[in-house]
Amino acid sequence: MKIIILSIGILIGSLQSLSAQSYQLPEYSTFTLPNGLVVNLMEQHEVPIIAVNVILPAGAIYDGEKAGLASLTADALNLGTKHYTKTQLDEALDFVGADMRVVAQKEYAALTAQFAAKDQEDILNIVKEVLLYPTFEATAYEKEKARTLVALEQQKESPRSIIQSYFDLLLYGNHVYGNIPQGTLTTVGSLTTADIRQFYEANYIPNGSAISIVGDFSTDEMKQTITKLFSEWKKSEQQDIKGSSKPISELTEARVLVVNKDDAKETTFYIGSSGMNRNDPEFVDISIINTLFGGRFTSMLNDELRVNSGLTYGASSRFQPLKNGGSFAITTFTANETTEAAIDKALEVLENLHSKGLNDQSLASAKNYVKGQFPPKYETVSQLAGLLGEMFWYDLDTSYINNFQQKVDALDLKKANDLIATYFPKDKLQMVLVGKASDIKKIAEKYGKVIETEINTYPKM
Amino acid sequence: MKKILPFFLFLLSVSQFGNAQMKLDDVKTFVLKNGMKFLVVEDFSIPNANMYLFYKVGSRNEHQGITGLSHFFEHMMFNGAKKYGPKMFDQTMEFNGGSNNAYTNSDVTVYTDWFPASAAEVMFDLESDRIANLSIAPSMVESERGVVLSERRTGLENSPWRQLFEKVQATAFLKHPYHWPVIGYEDDMKNWTQADLERYFKTYYAPNNCVVVVSGSLKFEEVKALAEKYLEPIPAQPEPPKVHIVEPPQTGERRITEQRDVATPYLLISYHIPETKNEDYYALSMLSSILGSGQSSRLYKQLVDQKQLATQVFTSIDTSFDPSLFSVGAVANKNVDALNLEGAIYMEIDKIKTDGITEKELQKVKNQKLMEFYNQVETINGKSNTLGTYELFFGDYKKMFSAPESFNKVTAKDIQEVAKKYFSKSNRTVGILKSNVEN
Repeated sequence: MKIIILSIGILIGSLQSLSAQSYQLPEYSTFTLPNGLVVNLMEQHEVPIIAVNVILPAGAIYDGEKAGLASLTADALNLGTKHYTKTQLDEALDFVGADMRVVAQKEYAALTAQFAAKDQEDILNIVKEVLLYPTFEATAYEKEKARTLVALEQQKESPRSIIQSYFDLLLYGNHVYGNIPQGTLTTVGSLTTADIRQFYEANYIPNGSAISIVGDFSTDEMKQTITKLFSEWKKSEQQDIKGSSKPISELTEARVLVVNKDDAKETTFYIGSSGMNRNDPEFVDISIINTLFGGRFTSMLNDELRVNSGLTYGASSRFQPLKNGGSFAITTFTANETTEAAIDKALEVLENLHSKGLNDQSLASAKNYVKGQFPPKYETVSQLAGLLGEMFWYDLDTSYINNFQQKVDALDLKKANDLIATYFPKDKLQMVLVGKASDIKKIAEKYGKVIETEINTYPKM
Repeated sequence: MKKILPFFLFLLSVSQFGNAQMKLDDVKTFVLKNGMKFLVVEDFSIPNANMYLFYKVGSRNEHQGITGLSHFFEHMMFNGAKKYGPKMFDQTMEFNGGSNNAYTNSDVTVYTDWFPASAAEVMFDLESDRIANLSIAPSMVESERGVVLSERRTGLENSPWRQLFEKVQATAFLKHPYHWPVIGYEDDMKNWTQADLERYFKTYYAPNNCVVVVSGSLKFEEVKALAEKYLEPIPAQPEPPKVHIVEPPQTGERRITEQRDVATPYLLISYHIPETKNEDYYALSMLSSILGSGQSSRLYKQLVDQKQLATQVFTSIDTSFDPSLFSVGAVANKNVDALNLEGAIYMEIDKIKTDGITEKELQKVKNQKLMEFYNQVETINGKSNTLGTYELFFGDYKKMFSAPESFNKVTAKDIQEVAKKYFSKSNRTVGILKSNVEN
C-alpha cells in the first residue's frame, strides 16, 4: 500500500477537515427526556439502515486506582442482560446482521450499533437491555477477563498498539488523562464483578449521556420509541467530573521514555508535548497548519522522512484534543540503525516549521485540501451519528459545522505563522521510543532525561 | 501483504433494496479505442467523486529474483512523469483538494483518487500523464526502496499474523507465484533494477490492462469526454504474458512452525480452494461466514466462548484469479496447547462435513451479507471498489446484481458438500507460531 493511517484514536480525525462549499449539517431534532438523556434524531433515507451512537460519561478518566475498569465494564455490558443470555444476545444480533459494540475511550464510553431499518424494534430493545439491565454474570465475566488479560499480554507483540499509552503517561503523569485505558495485567487481574457493577451504577446514567440515531426512520415514530424505551432509565447523581479539569502539571524538562523490546527490528516513536483542547477557538486553524506539518502525504514530515530520505514508510503529526487538555505528537518508525537519523530529521522539520513558517501557496493548498476532503467524512449514517455524539460531548453547536468553511477561509498567513509558536512546541519535548534498548539508549540520552522500562510494564510517574 | 477484500455480496432480492439503492441500470459503461474500460456511477449525494484504476498485475506476475516488484512499482507510480515531475502528482492533487492511495495484492494493483467533483479534469490529467509517460528517476528508486523496506519491516514488527501468513502461504504453494509475499523477499527488494521497472511499466501499465471505475457527483457524459480527451490517446500494448504455472494438487498435510516472542501460540490452517470464478465460490463464502462471522458463529461459540481454547478466531477466503486458500486462524488462550486448539477446530469442521448446517444458519448468513452489501453501497468509494472487484474477479460487474440469484441457489446441502470436498487432511497446510519451538 502506498500509505497507512499511522496513529489510532485520532479524535481530531473526524472534524479536522471541515469545509465544502455546500456542506451544511443535515437537519435533526433534539430533545431531552425527564431523566436527562439527550436524544438526537436525524433522518437519512438513502440506504435502509440505521446507526445508533450512545455516548456516556464512563471513560478511563473515572478508573481511579483500578486501571482498565472502564474498559472491562464496557466489554462486560455485552455479556448478557435481564432478558438475554450472552448466547441469545449474540444470536439475536448476528441473525439479522446487526453490529453492536461498547467501547470505553479515555473520556467517555460509547455504544455503537448498526442494523437494517426493518429490525429497528428488536435491536433498539437490545440496546436498551444492554445499557439498562446488564447482568455481569460471573462465568461469562471470568471468561471475558481471561481473554482481556491475554490481549494485554499481546500488546508486547505490537509497539504501535501500546505506544500511545506510554506517551499519555509521560505527558500527563498523575492527571486522569494519564490513565491507561486498557489497564495493566496487575490492575485488570484484580478486577471483580463487584468493581464492574459499582462502576456501571455510577457511570452508566442518562443524565450526562446522549443517544444519537441516524438513518431510515420516521422522526415522529422514533421519538415515541425512544421515549418509551429509555424513560425508565433512572437519573443518578453525576460523578465528580472535576477530575479531568484539575490542572495538568507543567512540563519542566525534556524527557525520553525508552521502552525496551528485545526482539525489535525497528524503533517506533512519538515526539510531542501538550496540545490544544477540543474547544480551543483556534481548533480549525491548527488543523489547517497541522495538515501542512504532518497531516497529509505531502506534509513537511512525510516529505522529509519518507519521500526525500526513505527513512520510514510514513511520518505524521497529530493533535489529540480532549475536554480539558490535549496532546501534540510527531509519530513515525524506522529501522534500529537509523533511529538517530530519523529523530534528528523529525526535530529539524519541527525547527523549520518555526524558522521558515508557511507561505501563501502552502496555506492555500491546505485550505483546499481540508475543504475537498470534508464531505466524505459525513457520508454514512454511522459517521453522522458519531458526529452528533461528539458534538454533544464537547458542547459544539451546529455553527461549528455550518460555519466551517468561513473559518477555513478566514485564516490568513500572518495568523497562521503566529500560531505556530504557541501550538507546535519545540522545547521540553517528551519522547517515547519503543525499540531495542541496548541499541538506542545511548541515542536517547542526547534528547533529554532518560526513563527506562520494559514493554508492557509502566514506570511510576 | 495480501489484502483480503471484504466484500462478498449476498443479495437476497433486488426488491429488498428500496428505491435509492444502486441498480444495474445505474452503472454505465464505455470502452476507449485503446481498450481501457470504464464503469461510471452517477451519485450526487455529496459534491465529491472518485476514480479507481484496477490494473491486472500483482505478485502473481512476478518470478523469483523480482519478487515484490509489482508493489514497488505501485509506489513508483507516484514519483514523477513527463508533465508532473517528482512530487508533483501528490502536490497537484492535494492542492486541488484531492487525496489518493493505492494497494497491491497478488492479483491486482489498484489506484484510488478521492476528490471534489469540480477537480475531475485535474485528476484525469494526472492519471493520463503517469500512464502515458512515467519517468523512473534513479534517485527516486533509491529513496523509495528504503520506504518499502520500512513498510515490510513495520508490518512484521507489529503483526505476528503477517509472519505466519507468509510462511503458510509459501508452504501451501510450492510452484505457483502465490508462493512469495506481495511485499517481496528482502533480498529481491534490495536488488530490483531500473530495467526491471521499465519493463514492468511497458508490459503491464497499458490502458488495455486496466479497468477504471468512477463514482460520484459527475455526469456520465462528462466522464466520457474527459476519458476520451486524456486517456484515449495512450496506445494499447500487446497482451501481457499469461501466468502459466498451475499449482499441482497437494497430496499430504504440510506443517510448519515459526518462532516469535508471543503471549500465546498463533495457529493458521489453510485449505486449497478454487479461484473466485469457480461455481463453488458462493458456497465456500457462506461456509466461511457460518464458521467465523460473529460471536454466534460455530468457531467463536465453541472455541472462544464455551471451551475457552482460543481468545480470537477468524476465517478468510481470498478473491483471486487463480486457485487460492480458505484459512482458519486462531490465537490460543492462556495455557492452551496449540494442538488441542487445532483438534477442536477440526471437530467443528467435521460436524459440518457429517451433519451439515441448519436452515437458520443459512438464513443468518444471507442476512449478514445483505447488511454487508448495504455498507458497501452507502459510500461512493464502496460502490467503486465493489464494482471493480466484480468486474475483475467475477468476470463481469453485472454479477454484482445477479448475485442474489447465485446465492439463493445455494442450499444447506451445497455448503456441506463443499466442506467435504475441500476440508480434507491432505489438502491443508498448518502453521503454528509460538515462543518456545523446542518442545
